[in-house]
Amino acid sequence: MKGQFTCVVCPTSCIVNAEWNGIELLSTDHAQCKLAWDYVRGEIFDPRRTLTTTVRVDEGEFPLVSVKTDPPVPKGTMFEVMQHLAHVVVKAPVDIGDIVVADVLGTGSNIVATKKISRKVSHPAPGR
Amino acid sequence: MRTEEADVAVIGGGPSGMAAAVAARKAGAARVVLIERGEQLGGILNQCIHDGFGTKNMGKALTGPEYAQIYIDQTSESGVSCYLNTMVLNLTPERELTVCSTEGVRRIRAKSVVLCMGCRERTRGAIGIPGYRPAGVFTAGVVQYYMNMRNLAVGRRVVVLGSGDVGLIMARRLTLEGAKVPCVAEILPYPSGLVRNVVQCLEDFGIPLYLSTTVVEIHGRDRITGVTLAKIGPRGGIVPGSQRRVACDTLMLSVGLIAENELAKKAGVTLSPITGGPIVDDRFQTCVPGIFSAGNALQVHDLVDYVSLEAEKAGFGAAEYAYAGKLPQAHIKVSPGKGIRYVVPQYISGTEAVDFSMRVTAPDHDRFVTFRSSGQTVRRMKENVIAPSSMIRFRVRAERFQKIGNELTVELEA
Repeated sequence: MKGQFTCVVCPTSCIVNAEWNGIELLSTDHAQCKLAWDYVRGEIFDPRRTLTTTVRVDEGEFPLVSVKTDPPVPKGTMFEVMQHLAHVVVKAPVDIGDIVVADVLGTGSNIVATKKISRKVSHPAPGR
Repeated sequence: MRTEEADVAVIGGGPSGMAAAVAARKAGAARVVLIERGEQLGGILNQCIHDGFGTKNMGKALTGPEYAQIYIDQTSESGVSCYLNTMVLNLTPERELTVCSTEGVRRIRAKSVVLCMGCRERTRGAIGIPGYRPAGVFTAGVVQYYMNMRNLAVGRRVVVLGSGDVGLIMARRLTLEGAKVPCVAEILPYPSGLVRNVVQCLEDFGIPLYLSTTVVEIHGRDRITGVTLAKIGPRGGIVPGSQRRVACDTLMLSVGLIAENELAKKAGVTLSPITGGPIVDDRFQTCVPGIFSAGNALQVHDLVDYVSLEAEKAGFGAAEYAYAGKLPQAHIKVSPGKGIRYVVPQYISGTEAVDFSMRVTAPDHDRFVTFRSSGQTVRRMKENVIAPSSMIRFRVRAERFQKIGNELTVELEA
């Protein structure tokens, strides 16, 4: 089979023509570096994405904590993961790297916090 | 009024401000103050929850908040004094700042100042779309703030005008959160965001991108009910009969960024009409001695990695000025030639290596970027793919400047 891919590994964004069969990638052209090979192979046989979104936080200084999937999840599962995370609430404090959901939907990927959220401190009412 | 002294005062606590302040401390400035009007450091990175930051200078793809945290930690470790919730009201050419916080108004007298105010978004008013003024018209950065920081939805059916990077990223974000994005319209014949964002944010989700297309009318009185899209011909007019109506409850604009330089103007800093940022030399010093500029306030960037590198250099320059009271003269003028829209810095000293940043006027491929002085080629570099959306960066070593005159031109050649 043949197809064209835009490699998104770096901002150069090479346009790569690739040829493959049912089990392996056979050739690529026009790529400026070797990274395109792995990217194109992934896109053909097992496309994955780092999904970044937010999860609600209880008692935090902000109402949301940003999270990402680590390692990347299969592209086809992104909407299911979003659905699942809509019901997740974590309690502050949260640190970068904290696992919010382990092995989300059996994909083998963890949902990991990407922002530090401290506990909310209650301020006294502003004086006049 | 209370007055305090500082060696280096950095205005703005985003990626450029943090990098400049940390660099100034590293270079030996004793008292470095970082002034941020928001409630936290990190600037726009806090709401940029997507990944892809740091691929150039950290060797890995980080999300915005992760990238910010690296510099937030460095800021506190290096002993920078941070003033949050503090707004700079005025800046004089003598580098006296008037700042305002809940504690009141006070003055800061600084030996040098780094302007790191970043940029803001162009709005509907800036592009003059006819029609009523209903609710539901947002800029992409505002949508990003509502969704990623405040947990608020802006609408269910969102037309995007403009293909800037934030707009593309928010088109994906809205889709993932359950909104429908019927299309992205771009007035230019090519996308104004990075190719990787067109691929990852639109193609992955089947969102159509209409080029040479814009919104010519906004419908709805209380809340937006739809827009009229039209094709734009090569000479800029509406292609007759190309108008069509698309229903939506929200219009999101991603139509460009403007460097924020009100303070620079107050201090008498000369701005470039093309970048909207100050005209600077190779240490990022503006025409006002002791006042420096870096990040999106200097030129709108597409990658934060280069913002950090540029601001670091500005921070070093500011520390040196604070110590010595002057910097070497930069008398060589750098001008954009054929095919180049602008080049920064606009003046160089010629005594050390310079990292030039520039943007081209139109998309092209297989071109040489050539630095020339009095008819001689100083440096020539091949670029395979070029586009106005991708900033080009080149380092030219000091030896190359040895035999040049007072003029340096950069142009594109076949």
